[in-house]
Amino acid sequence: MSQHHDDHPEHGHIKLEYQPALPIPNGKLCLWLFLSTEIMFFAGLIGAYIVLRFGAPTWPSPHDVHLSEPIGAFNTFVLICSSLSVVLSLEAAKADKAGRAKFWMFVTFVLGLAFLGVKGYEYKEKFAHGIYPAHPHGLLYDKPDVYYASSVKVALEDAAKHCTTQIELVDKSASEIAEAKAEIEEAEEAKDQEAKTKAEEKLAAAQKVNEEAVAMADTYRERREKMELLRDGLVQWNTRAATQNPNPVEGQALMDSIAYTIQHPHEDEEELTRLVEEKGTLATKLAELEQAEEQDPQEIALVKNRLKLIDYLTADDAAILRHGVNHTYDWVDLPFVIPSGNMWASTYFLLTGFHAIHVLVGLIVFAVALPVTLGVSKATFIEAAGLYWHFVDLVWIFLFPILYLF
Amino acid sequence: MSSTGHADEHHEAAHDHGHGGTGKYWLVFLALCLLTLCSFLTYFEMWHNAIPVNVSRAFMMAVSVSKALLVMCFFMHLIWEANWKWVLTVPAAMMAVFLVCMLIPDIGYRTDYYSSHRWNHTPQPIEPNLHPSGDARPAAQPGH
Repeated sequence: MSQHHDDHPEHGHIKLEYQPALPIPNGKLCLWLFLSTEIMFFAGLIGAYIVLRFGAPTWPSPHDVHLSEPIGAFNTFVLICSSLSVVLSLEAAKADKAGRAKFWMFVTFVLGLAFLGVKGYEYKEKFAHGIYPAHPHGLLYDKPDVYYASSVKVALEDAAKHCTTQIELVDKSASEIAEAKAEIEEAEEAKDQEAKTKAEEKLAAAQKVNEEAVAMADTYRERREKMELLRDGLVQWNTRAATQNPNPVEGQALMDSIAYTIQHPHEDEEELTRLVEEKGTLATKLAELEQAEEQDPQEIALVKNRLKLIDYLTADDAAILRHGVNHTYDWVDLPFVIPSGNMWASTYFLLTGFHAIHVLVGLIVFAVALPVTLGVSKATFIEAAGLYWHFVDLVWIFLFPILYLF
Repeated sequence: MSSTGHADEHHEAAHDHGHGGTGKYWLVFLALCLLTLCSFLTYFEMWHNAIPVNVSRAFMMAVSVSKALLVMCFFMHLIWEANWKWVLTVPAAMMAVFLVCMLIPDIGYRTDYYSSHRWNHTPQPIEPNLHPSGDARPAAQPGH
């Protein structure tokens, strides 16, 4: 309601005028209504993350999931800068300085793009480390249990199979060379120049494949041997020992050992000392098994594999033990364990994904506004776009600490 | 005059009073940068060693709320808006808090009701130096 003094003061009373609206433009009102629903939407998401995170028995640290705090802080700074630039664009538009308004709008657009670029880089890093929001791409397991051991075994067998395929290329390409040579001879006899050219091309291709296969054959044999050794000496040995152990804590420790050897570095000497002690025990056991009247060839083979694995893990100053199989070899990606890692990945990708979608929508709005003359007539539009953008910044203000620093 | 025309007039009038110039926006920007730096301090080892984790988290949340208030009050101009702002923001904020609170009993306290069988499938921290030994005992867990 507003008060207006009557044009005729002799009447001596106040005339009231009814206003059927809030004292703001309709567009701005609608945007605020939309933002109030957005507040509830993101509160639900962030609240769900916090409740899940603090209700979980364990949660990965940023280091575990390859999150970089400085990158997160940089992205926060980028969004703060963009919030400033959009408000400066609004002030310039209000002063009818269209050129300056457009400049600040363009700066906002570029900063938004930079934010999304950094976010894209972060996503790429997660994917490169086998962290996805869900299977089938994800290599992430929550717990080193029999399901994990089984998936590691399958991955090792697949890697060994791939090595076998590469080794077989030597023979396959050799037979293709022989075939191509025979075709060349036939074509020469038949004086068929076209067939001869085709056969020569085939020969050249087969020779190239053969050269590469021969050069890599020893490497693939060595890799296959390592994969089979890890399968038999680590996964199968530990799984069998864990299932036979009546003490669940000891059993779990054996399963944990698989996960640690695959992914986590042993930064102390304890595991090395333990393996050296185990080697001594097993050597004695092997001697006993070989001297027994009724020999158990399967058990002997298992113990021999385990001994070989210990030698392999403790070789070169225990390099594999110190860095983990996945970190030592870039040619293999084995499933790994991050306790509560899948829950982390789901919440991280959901929160940052929805936020990134909002950033993208903001960028589309700015892209639409940029070609237009951003004078005083467009001030209300810029204010509405700015309000939305500030809200996006607000959400990130809360996402940064809870995702990167908690 | 139409209602929208009135609204525009009132709106322009409100915006012409009380917040001219861009100096305050630069000051707010500077404050936001400093506050971001404050929350980033918690990343460093020195901070971890000196400050308990719960205090650190409370500090981060206080910093975030301060930053949010600065953005809302100055960049979103709420400090200069009329009383309609409460009509839109307060119910939404209350509902947001309510949404979070509703998740706590079933989701936040979910492990309080886990059976021992469920605990077998629950992620636990990996103990790098927990090796089979004669005196190892199963850890007592809720739900047992």
